[in-house]
Amino acid sequence: MKTIVAITLKGIFRDKVFQGIMVTALMFLFIPIFASLSMRQVTELTITLSLSLISFILLLLSVFLGGTSLWKDIERRYTFSVLGLPLSRRSYLLGRFGGTALFVIIAASVLGIAAFCVVAYSSSIYPSDRPIVWGSMILCILFDALKYILLIAFAFLLSTVSTSFFLPVFGTIAMFVTGGVTQQVYEYIHSPASKTLSPFLKQTATALYYIIPNFGAFDLKLYAIYGLPLPANGLLMTSAYFVVYVGLLLSVSSSIFTRREMR
Amino acid sequence: MVKTVFATLACLVLYGILIVPFTEYLHNRPFDEKMGYIPSVTALRIVAADHKELVAASLVSKVLMYFGGLSVKNENDILPILPDYKRMSGILHGAVKLDPYNMDAYYFAQSFLTWDVKQYKLANDLLDYGMKYRTWDWMLPFFAGFNSAYFMKDYPKAAEYYKRAGELSGSELHFSLAGRYMQESGQTELAISYLSAMEKGERNPAVKKNYQIRLSAFKEAHRIELARDKYRQERKAEPATVEQLVRAGYLTPAPVDPYGGTFYLTPDGKVATTSKFAFGGKKDNSQNDGESHERN
Repeated sequence: MKTIVAITLKGIFRDKVFQGIMVTALMFLFIPIFASLSMRQVTELTITLSLSLISFILLLLSVFLGGTSLWKDIERRYTFSVLGLPLSRRSYLLGRFGGTALFVIIAASVLGIAAFCVVAYSSSIYPSDRPIVWGSMILCILFDALKYILLIAFAFLLSTVSTSFFLPVFGTIAMFVTGGVTQQVYEYIHSPASKTLSPFLKQTATALYYIIPNFGAFDLKLYAIYGLPLPANGLLMTSAYFVVYVGLLLSVSSSIFTRREMR
Repeated sequence: MVKTVFATLACLVLYGILIVPFTEYLHNRPFDEKMGYIPSVTALRIVAADHKELVAASLVSKVLMYFGGLSVKNENDILPILPDYKRMSGILHGAVKLDPYNMDAYYFAQSFLTWDVKQYKLANDLLDYGMKYRTWDWMLPFFAGFNSAYFMKDYPKAAEYYKRAGELSGSELHFSLAGRYMQESGQTELAISYLSAMEKGERNPAVKKNYQIRLSAFKEAHRIELARDKYRQERKAEPATVEQLVRAGYLTPAPVDPYGGTFYLTPDGKVATTSKFAFGGKKDNSQNDGESHERN
């Protein structure tokens, strides 16, 4: 499995994905200029823009790497030669997932360093009233990476049942949008404002809330931007949620992929 | 090859011709068009996904750029265009719903809502909303205190805001302002007790001295208040001047304003001073506008 992880990582670098990220990361250079337009919170705006840029790049990586990795192998018939080796399908799938997830962590780390440089530069020119909590920024980027790894796991699940890349790519995008609002929907249907909704609709929405991944919990931007105290208990629960949910998705994916008929 | 070069050159020329009117058209679009359709906050929350802070910042930036652009335009125009303040306010209110910590939105909204639109209550409601989130920020209560005192003449509320601003900033100025407005709102005793506590806790000698002077002035004002009330009670009449209270034996010794001013009674019986409880604030009694340095 380690070999598959290494091959996956090498393949991503060979496809010049990293160079693509670096080109997009050039936008970091413009962040201090744009943030200087703020009247009262230049540093906060710099952090907002930096974290959003990282999140956006990681989203693109998750959708395109996660949604096309397995499909590409099957399409190019690489799977036949690889699975001819003494390697289980499950190890192959987990190796592919591990390699992609590792690349997301590497990309997040590099982009995080770029963000720190930009924030340090901005705050040296326009000192902020609020302290910059670097630890919160690191945790914010880490939890962002975890969120996108979870999304990749979902993309892999869709890839195991799909014969084209449309379902994994568009399904992953749809899941990203849906997973970002499930908490709001849950809170709405459990508030007095939803009394006009039918009980069936409420029960369906509640059931979906438990099934669909909840990405809202991974969003720590507000804490990082304004240096607010992080909820330790919440972070622990979110981490546990990540482990359990990814484990569940990968088990189901492995189970489907093992039984899948390859043509 | 020649055809391709020719086609490229032709496109470049056409682009050059088109880009100027195109930019002009975009630049001169009306506000609604320029800002684009902005969906409700609920819809924006869904669309923004995990970029709510970014969307909020972009809304604020849109309003700022619109306002800035219009200001420049109006400087060079014979017929200036009035900014669409209602829309601007709506967008900034939406921005703080997405990111309740965004200081730019509060700062900018409160500035035009008070000075330009005269929506003081709306401005203070927005600042109150911000105070729930930016619990460390002394600026929001400071702005609200100023709005309450200067625009709304609601001195008890101003004192409350300035007290909060003082607690957050540790600034002597805010505490002094809070004490002053407590006094002006007729809560002299409260102001005295508040300033006494501040004076006791202050370690900086200069600041401590400042508190002591203000405290001494308020105590003198309170002495006049008590004398006036006693005069009213015993003589069933209103005293005309502070000197009358001294002459009648209700006020001994005569009150001294440590700021160098002279205490006097306003026609409605309030105690005021020509110094406005500040050094350098002394002016003729007759010129006194009675705006903010009287008390019941």
